[in-house]
Amino acid sequence: MEHRQRSAFTTAVVVVAVVFLFAPLVVVVLFSFHSVGALTLPFRGFSLRWYREIWRSPEFRAALRNSAIVATTTALVTLVLGTLAAYALSKARSRWRAPLALLLFLPLTLPGLFVGLALLIVFNRTDQQLSLATVTIAHLVYVMPYFMLLAVAALQRLDPSLDEAAADLGAGPLLTFVRVTLPQVWPVLLAATLLAFALSFDEFVITFFVIGPDSTLPMFIFSSLRRTVDPTINAISSLLLTTSVVLFGAAFALTVRRGGVAALASRPSRSTQPGVLTNGS
Amino acid sequence: MSRTFGEVVALAEVSITVAPGEFVTLLGPSGCGKTTLLRIIAGFDRPSSGSVWIDGDDVTGRSAHRRPVNMVFQRPTLFPHLDVAGNVSFGPRIAKTPSAERARLVDEALAVVRLDGYQRRRATELSGGQMQRVALARAIVNRPKVLLLDEPLSALDLAIRLEMEEELRRLHRELGATFVYVTHDQREALALSDRIMVFSSGRIEQVGTPDEIYARPASPFVARLVGDANVVPAQADARSVVVAGSRLVSPDSDVRGLAWAVIRPEHITLAPSAPGHTGLSGTVVDLAYRGTGHAYRVQLDDGSTTLKAETVGGPAIGVGTRVDLTVAENSIHLLAREGDLEQVPSTEPGSGHAP
Repeated sequence: MEHRQRSAFTTAVVVVAVVFLFAPLVVVVLFSFHSVGALTLPFRGFSLRWYREIWRSPEFRAALRNSAIVATTTALVTLVLGTLAAYALSKARSRWRAPLALLLFLPLTLPGLFVGLALLIVFNRTDQQLSLATVTIAHLVYVMPYFMLLAVAALQRLDPSLDEAAADLGAGPLLTFVRVTLPQVWPVLLAATLLAFALSFDEFVITFFVIGPDSTLPMFIFSSLRRTVDPTINAISSLLLTTSVVLFGAAFALTVRRGGVAALASRPSRSTQPGVLTNGS
Repeated sequence: MSRTFGEVVALAEVSITVAPGEFVTLLGPSGCGKTTLLRIIAGFDRPSSGSVWIDGDDVTGRSAHRRPVNMVFQRPTLFPHLDVAGNVSFGPRIAKTPSAERARLVDEALAVVRLDGYQRRRATELSGGQMQRVALARAIVNRPKVLLLDEPLSALDLAIRLEMEEELRRLHRELGATFVYVTHDQREALALSDRIMVFSSGRIEQVGTPDEIYARPASPFVARLVGDANVVPAQADARSVVVAGSRLVSPDSDVRGLAWAVIRPEHITLAPSAPGHTGLSGTVVDLAYRGTGHAYRVQLDDGSTTLKAETVGGPAIGVGTRVDLTVAENSIHLLAREGDLEQVPSTEPGSGHAP
């Protein structure tokens, strides 16, 4: 095979793109460890003082707790409702599947501004006090399509004849779901739940419209920015970033688990059939 | 019962009865309704009219998971998240069989399909034949009143297929359960069944033992489907039958006048043309070596008829050779024929194995 030439130009474009994407993140994280209050170079040394500082702030701890409550509730409710909806959708008659799917995935395309405003109007008209509950409802609306996207894809990949086999062996619809469907899709459902948590945890635009007296972490950062700019903001942002990276990373690892690790683990036994090429992913 | 899909009639007023312990095969080309019927028995499909009775119970309205039947599917649909033992114990687990009893049942079922020691293997680590045997074990472990088999061997290699046929016969003998087997392979049907039901376009063409179906097909369709017979237009009277302009000795038959003559290839012998021969003669147009002998296609002298013939042993007779044909006595089976213009109904090409 001919070796492909990589031109200097494409390499340069890639490098610039990567720098452009990650430089701001590096700067934020770097200055969160700055030993002095300045947010400009030169860098004068590392310290954890800003992390200690935010941890001492009661407002920060309240916001962190609120965010954790909202994100956990959102993720769990999404897991239950989203799984049921996705399962129903994957079992729907083919005539209804496309329009239903469109309806369920449509919110993905709506601007956060619109969703936030629409929800605010709804809460207003129904005399709902804005609170963490309204924030949670808003987050449910926001993360559900993402969850559904993953869950529906996973469920539709399943072999429908396995359901028939289970029914044939005496399992009713519920037992079939618990014993056959769930064991095959749980990694994806768990990944989608982590994703839902991560999306809710740092959601800002929609939250801005429907937030009550209790602040969430992104709202806390926003209000702090209006007062002063010091490395505590960087420390909080770094924490948010770490949370997102860890959760997305875990979600990614879970969804590729089957294709990757499982295929590796079962490779030795396959070597006895050299003609068979099986790819799990 | 019948089953229609919109305008399409998959089963038209079909009625079958299977005796306890019987091995019945539903045979027919694809799209003939045999799989639809099996799925109706299993409960995956509902009849448009009619009912299903199993062991004295009307199960028509019962869901698949409440019927005393188990199915082996065309593809081995093993649960990928469970190992072999997990797959086989699925039914007993649903039936809430105590775990010690369950383990014993699983070991027993795996022993029956000769897969003991495979309990901890993953489904993905098995060959096609092994997977299908696990699927068999998973079905029989529940002691079904009726075991349904939907072309279980069609996805396997020929060698494994023959071995599995033997296993199925043994299983049927050992279990004494009722087997309903669906296949398009006439060779499998003849080799396995107590009785064969031949399907065509949603109707039953003939029901009988393999011997009856083979020796006395009820229609040209059955004759061509089972054993790949010659079906040629003929004219019959009390003592003789005229085929392609030659008068041959007729078997006992009520058929008079226009007829179809069914002649099995193995009942025709060939010899290089010699003066004085009074029967059929023609020219060899194709020759295939079959190991036990040769398979020929002979173009008869009337110009419009081609006969298949099979010989056992002997030297090959080359393509282009003029030959005389002799049809074994009492081997011609006659079927009534209506109208002179009717064409021989064609079937799908068989599965390619000589009987």
